[in-house]
Amino acid sequence: MTVALARISAEPIEADEVEHAVLTAADGALVTFRGVVRNADEGRGVTALDYSAHPDAERFLRESCARIAEETGLTVAALHRVGALRIGDVALVAAVAAPHRAEAFAACARLVDDIKATVPIWKRQHYTEGVSDWVGL
Amino acid sequence: MRYFAAAAEVAGREEETFAVDSATVGALQDDLVARYGSGMTRVLRNGSFLVDGVVVRDRARPLGRQVDVLPPFAGG
Repeated sequence: MTVALARISAEPIEADEVEHAVLTAADGALVTFRGVVRNADEGRGVTALDYSAHPDAERFLRESCARIAEETGLTVAALHRVGALRIGDVALVAAVAAPHRAEAFAACARLVDDIKATVPIWKRQHYTEGVSDWVGL
Repeated sequence: MRYFAAAAEVAGREEETFAVDSATVGALQDDLVARYGSGMTRVLRNGSFLVDGVVVRDRARPLGRQVDVLPPFAGG
């Protein structure tokens, strides 16, 4: 059980980096999740998202990864992007490697849920009608 | 106090210093709503505070010297 990588990035993030960080010769399964900016939310058209993070967000991201690594005994990693993102941009990459697929799928789902619940990151959503608002209020 | 994201927008600032009557999270919540109105109510409804490096929501929790106001997390 290891945290291979946990970073908040202002630059575009690549799944390759996260996958390479977790994968070892003992793994037969590699599950990667990409959270992508989509063009609608709750029935309203979305044009862009601005992500911002608390200065300690990277510590919380690392703690989240450590929690899931500890809980599952697997190697996990995650990158979260901040800044101005457009439709189709990747906001989060989370990956888990395991000997078999079932545990890798389950751990990756847990990891993403935990990151969303515990890492202090915020987003402002810009809508097609020209207004914008914070998500989750 | 430090304010982030929606909290900074509602407060119109990123930080300030003030004294509270009772040094608990609950008293601070009430004080912030009194200062900044319904916008702050909306931020705090599902929000939290960072006290001494720990995210807290319990109204009875004592405050530290520095407290961060954290709107609901929306990562991912």
